[in-house]
Amino acid sequence: MCNIDDPLTLYVSGGNTIVSAFESGRYQIFGETLDLAIGNMIDSFAREADIPHPGGPRIEKLALESKKYIDLPYIVKGMDLSFSGLYTATKRLLKSENFGLEFSLSDIAYSLQETSFAMLAEVTERALAHTGKSEVLLTGGVAANKRLQNMIRYISNEHNTRFEVVPLRFAGDNGAMIAWTGILKYLSNGEDSIENTTIGPKERMDNIEVPWRN
Amino acid sequence: MNYEIEKKNLIKKGAEASLNYGKWFNKEVIFKHRLPKNYRIEQLDKKIRTSRTLNEARALIKIKNYGINVPCVYEIDSEESIITMDYIHGEKLKDLIKKLNEDQLEEYFKKLGTFISILHQNGHIHGDITTSNVIITPNKELFLIDFGLHDYSDTIEDKSVDIHLLKRVLMSSHGNCFELCYKAFLEGYRSCYQSKFLEECESIISNIDIIETRGRYIKKEKRR
Repeated sequence: MCNIDDPLTLYVSGGNTIVSAFESGRYQIFGETLDLAIGNMIDSFAREADIPHPGGPRIEKLALESKKYIDLPYIVKGMDLSFSGLYTATKRLLKSENFGLEFSLSDIAYSLQETSFAMLAEVTERALAHTGKSEVLLTGGVAANKRLQNMIRYISNEHNTRFEVVPLRFAGDNGAMIAWTGILKYLSNGEDSIENTTIGPKERMDNIEVPWRN
Repeated sequence: MNYEIEKKNLIKKGAEASLNYGKWFNKEVIFKHRLPKNYRIEQLDKKIRTSRTLNEARALIKIKNYGINVPCVYEIDSEESIITMDYIHGEKLKDLIKKLNEDQLEEYFKKLGTFISILHQNGHIHGDITTSNVIITPNKELFLIDFGLHDYSDTIEDKSVDIHLLKRVLMSSHGNCFELCYKAFLEGYRSCYQSKFLEECESIISNIDIIETRGRYIKKEKRR
């Protein structure tokens, strides 16, 4: 669909914030969030600011109206990220007595996006240098954000790698994605009985062997 | 005396900073320059580069005072995010490892263990303990370099993760002498821990095995 073969993937959604790539038979995780997922953080902030769900697109629009950056916590540890401090700081700004006087909701939205997306770009760049992959793929619900796309495209260009974004209607959880994985697994591993099939909502992607990629 | 500052050849261009060899008042130095990143806004870019430059320089200065061999910092340019520090002559432990006999390996890894032990007991995490970041000078002194990922922490988890990185590097790049090197490292690490904190020391070491059982660190051989 994106004509991509073996990318470094930045997966940003309400449930996940993961930088991964295929290596040694698995989708290895090179960096991830240590607390909140980026989408969850943005949605939570939107709720605090009385922005109706889904908050992401509305915050993206608000951010375009501002160029005033408010200093916020920027936490990158090696290739991992932390968003909880950033979330708390933006919540505090909403309750501050200067809110509406010294800074607006647009200013907070702008600062929130600039800070969190720069963190994502930094770890993606580090992982790109580390893995030496020649393609970068952006997916998940937050991948729809144009500012994030531009940042990741920028670092991809700097490293002479191809950059693609998964179309939004396929970037979130969907049945086709699960069914297709099922088909691939069936073709490589054969049948699984229903009794042996369970749901593992907490399963990590790097715990799963992916024989059909070899 | 030559009171000149001269920037010469580029040694390394990393994802975050470039390293240039040069002269600073007749001394051989490294200029570590954190480069601007154009994908982020200027204000944020400036903040990140300045705070990391200051953090790294401060850490180097503090750590030198514990008697650990690290490059001496001569100048900090927070405006441009440049640290001017000693150029350490010698060979990376990574390249030297194949040429060393067992006694020498044991000696160096023990020494490395004591250095990391002192760092940890003083609340410093190196953040990138690899054999590329250890230099052995011609007169056989061991130097720790690259504190770019340095952090302050007193938790067992952070200290275990710090050591675990070295363990992974030893296993993947220096597999044939892994046992010897890692054992010597732990011996040095333990020997230098203050006796009243030995319990903490053992928790750190046993936590390394727990980290390994987590998904992202499963050994590559096991995965095929």
